[in-house]
Amino acid sequence: MEQLLNSGIKQIIDEHAEVGPILEAYGIGCVPCSVGTCLLKDIVDIHGLSATQEQALMTKIAKAVYPDRDIVIPLRAKTSTENGTDLTYSPPMKKLVDEHTWIKRLLAQVPNLIRTLDLTAEPGRQLVRDVLDFIRNYADRFHHAKEEDILFKYFDEKLDILQVMLTDHESGRSHVRAIAGAVEKQDAATVSEHLAAYRELLTEHIKKENEILYPWMDKEMSDSQIGQMFAAFSDVDVTFGDGPGKHIAFVETLEALNS
Amino acid sequence: MECGCPGSKMMDRRDEDSGDAPAAAVNSQLRQWPIQLHLISPEAPYYTGADVLLTADCVAYAMGGYHSDYLKGKSIAIACPKLDAGQDIYAAKIRSWLEDAKINTLTVLIMEVPCCGGLLHLAKQALAASSRKVPLKAVVVGLDGEIRSEDWVTD
Ligand SMILES: [Fe+2]
Ligand SMILES: [Fe+2]
Repeated sequence: MEQLLNSGIKQIIDEHAEVGPILEAYGIGCVPCSVGTCLLKDIVDIHGLSATQEQALMTKIAKAVYPDRDIVIPLRAKTSTENGTDLTYSPPMKKLVDEHTWIKRLLAQVPNLIRTLDLTAEPGRQLVRDVLDFIRNYADRFHHAKEEDILFKYFDEKLDILQVMLTDHESGRSHVRAIAGAVEKQDAATVSEHLAAYRELLTEHIKKENEILYPWMDKEMSDSQIGQMFAAFSDVDVTFGDGPGKHIAFVETLEALNS
Repeated sequence: MECGCPGSKMMDRRDEDSGDAPAAAVNSQLRQWPIQLHLISPEAPYYTGADVLLTADCVAYAMGGYHSDYLKGKSIAIACPKLDAGQDIYAAKIRSWLEDAKINTLTVLIMEVPCCGGLLHLAKQALAASSRKVPLKAVVVGLDGEIRSEDWVTD
């Protein structure tokens, strides 16, 4: 069992395809992951299952991998914070989750934006530029900068999960570049395609961060690191001044426009 | 039916197995003096930029692992929200930790009895009044010395 825990997930799924659906039943979506070198033990740990859920999951996996052996998985004692029943974040992580809420509200406006897209007139082009301004300055410079320059620095950036997150950020940036170029060419099809792709990418990305990455990081970080990170985030907030407030106001205006 | 203050309700647990005593001597993790909240100065050097534990008086007696699990690497003050007088002074000292000593985090350790919640309330109020914010954590300890909950306060 120890050996299994220390195996890469892609290897386990390749050799025992039944493990994929078992993981999926517990909300662990490793099958479509492009990297897949995470170790099974890290995956189980990172998803913050309750002790009984973890025991049941590991029993099913053990049965799938070693069908002719009778392996009894002990109930691993967990503290109340490890039980993953409700998500409570540390104050700095809560800041990031609150920022996600604004990004999600912007993403919710994207279908409407695509439906009413009119690049032939200047106001229509300006609306897309304003959306890009939100994405570049709020979602990327303000929010992703906190993640990339501060939060991720507390961890080994070679970790698969961080590589996946960083790749998502880069993919988001390339969608933004594609949209920016297409707006000026009045290429509505390309703008729509990349807006929709950006929405899909960020929706999944935020879900991964809120439900998996942040709770795991919170568990790994010491109180002292949480305090340092909170102070560093506060410094970023001060540096950006009323910029984020203006971007939030833009989302509200967009919502009012479409309601 | 018995009623009255749950904070002073008698409990006799002498029959319960308390487990083995530690094999080796337990080192104290206390690195400062004084510790009582009326006696400390919030601007003492060991509070500057520190992770501070504000611990209700009874906690360290109830918990077996207080020194190694919580006190290690931190600075401390102790108080009783039920019996101590002059709690407005406490509020001012907590605020001074936040604004003057620029502490890194504040962890309030209290017993699960209702009256102990007053200490957490005091810390929350001081934080709300302070111009400088830090992460605040609440640890609730059972009468059996077990941790009932340990959560960051984010409201
Ligand atoms: Fe991210
Ligand atoms: Fe994020």
